[in-house]
Amino acid sequence: MPEIRDELALETQIVAEAGRGIERDRESAITERHGARTSRLRVGTWLPPLIAFAIAAGIWQWYAHGHPYAIPTFEAIWKSLKSQPGLYWSNFLTTLKEIVIGAGGGIIIAFLLAILMAELPVFERALMPLAVMLMVTPVIAIAPALVIAFGFGLFPKYLLTGIIVFFPMLVNSLAGLRAVDPGTRDVFTTLHASRWETFRYLRLPGSLPFVFAGLRIALPLSVVGATVAEFAAAGQQSGLGALIEVSASQVDLPVIWASIAILCALGIAFVVILGVIHKRVLWWDHGTEQRT
Amino acid sequence: MDRLVTGRESTPASAPGSTEASTDFGVDGGVRIDGIVKTFPAGKGRNLVLDDVSLTIGRGEFVSLIGPSGCGKSTILRIVAGLIPADSGRVVIDGEAVEAATREKAIGLVPQSPALLPWRTVLKNVELAIQVNSKASKERDLRNSEEILRSFGLGNALHRHPAQLSGGMQQRVAIARAFVFDPGVLLMDEPFSALDELTRDQQRLGLLRFWQSNRKAVLFVTHSVREAVVLSDRIVVMSTHPGRVKTVIDVGLARPRGEEGYESAGFRKVESEVRAVLREVTEPTYA
Repeated sequence: MPEIRDELALETQIVAEAGRGIERDRESAITERHGARTSRLRVGTWLPPLIAFAIAAGIWQWYAHGHPYAIPTFEAIWKSLKSQPGLYWSNFLTTLKEIVIGAGGGIIIAFLLAILMAELPVFERALMPLAVMLMVTPVIAIAPALVIAFGFGLFPKYLLTGIIVFFPMLVNSLAGLRAVDPGTRDVFTTLHASRWETFRYLRLPGSLPFVFAGLRIALPLSVVGATVAEFAAAGQQSGLGALIEVSASQVDLPVIWASIAILCALGIAFVVILGVIHKRVLWWDHGTEQRT
Repeated sequence: MDRLVTGRESTPASAPGSTEASTDFGVDGGVRIDGIVKTFPAGKGRNLVLDDVSLTIGRGEFVSLIGPSGCGKSTILRIVAGLIPADSGRVVIDGEAVEAATREKAIGLVPQSPALLPWRTVLKNVELAIQVNSKASKERDLRNSEEILRSFGLGNALHRHPAQLSGGMQQRVAIARAFVFDPGVLLMDEPFSALDELTRDQQRLGLLRFWQSNRKAVLFVTHSVREAVVLSDRIVVMSTHPGRVKTVIDVGLARPRGEEGYESAGFRKVESEVRAVLREVTEPTYA
């Protein structure tokens, strides 16, 4: 059947040539898609949240004008911030210090422990129940007990902030260190990669998207931890939490809300900074980009 | 037993195998698989996946493993790669046990997915294979990573990242990574199965072209008859439940082969021969 054979030959040739064309098209399409990702300052992106914010702020102002003893107006908060910047600044620095040391320590310890658990599962079996116990215990309940045990100094605040970030960091880091592509792991195995090489080249960089997901939960939580710890030791009168506690007893609404606003801004700053670092360091991670 | 074993399979360990594939086809070259049995746990008992599978791949010989899904062809590859142990039987690679062979980096693996590190550039992904377990590759005739990528048509993509490449390009990087540290044996587990038919044909011919000038013993798992015939020296057809070697078919088409190979009468003949055996193996499903 020579005709059929020729037809098939022609088909083969067409297939091969079309294949080359498709490959080229796909390459350029992929490059274009990457280019489009950078331009995202579209009206459709920022306008809807802006409108939502404006409406929320409008309702706030309207209610504050009618009920000045329930919530203060924005002007009152702003006036308080402007009239005593030193007060807010020094209390802010105390809270920030508690977070940097407490959360920083908690995050580092949690990550190191996750590495230990990932490499030697016996540690996971031994320590995970304790970690879960720590997680399910409400920090608000521990706070006064820690103050009694460790006094009115900064230590119980570091501890509480550390405790609150510990679990989300541990669990996310552990999941990240374990989330290894099976094919890549097989390649490492047939290359007879050492344990250290597998960790350094495969597990550690592969865990970073999960570590960032953990940080996105842990850092805003650290603000909660520091504030709660300060509530419990309000006598010390340092930190924004302590300032809120004292002002609440004096029903000084503008100071309370100005402190809350600063704490809120701190949380937002953490999320924004994390987002920027995430884009810089983990540009290759398209999975979490979609998840957020 | 309808298992058809060619003379080569039953050759005693001390005797040299066929001289057809390569001039230096000694007993120490390539891969010898001897009476592999593998079971997997299934419910209370165990499921027999591979039943006494034996085959040899000569030095520089290209052998394809084909069969219906569930015949255990990927399992054979994983056993040869040292990823899972066999229940009994023996695998000898370049005259050594699998464990020793991986320690010396004698095996290049190309998994089904490209399995590239997304945070490394194409070049750095290929260099990784040299970097890891580096003392084993010291005495080796290491290929230049850039050069090898160029010959796979990836010269422009050296400093790009995997996510910026098409599936076909990613798979070529994975193949380059397996060739770069000059292992004696390459194991490929359906490397083109995730690609569309058009890209696949191209990838096959690219691999063929490269392999013909860099001969290595290859065990190539596939479910495409066309792919098996155009690439292989021999095609091992397997039957299922349990996985056994049904027939070994000598392709016997002249090398170097290329695109034009698909047209030849010889190609058609071997192709229909393989299809006939496959039909026989899969028949019970329709009966």
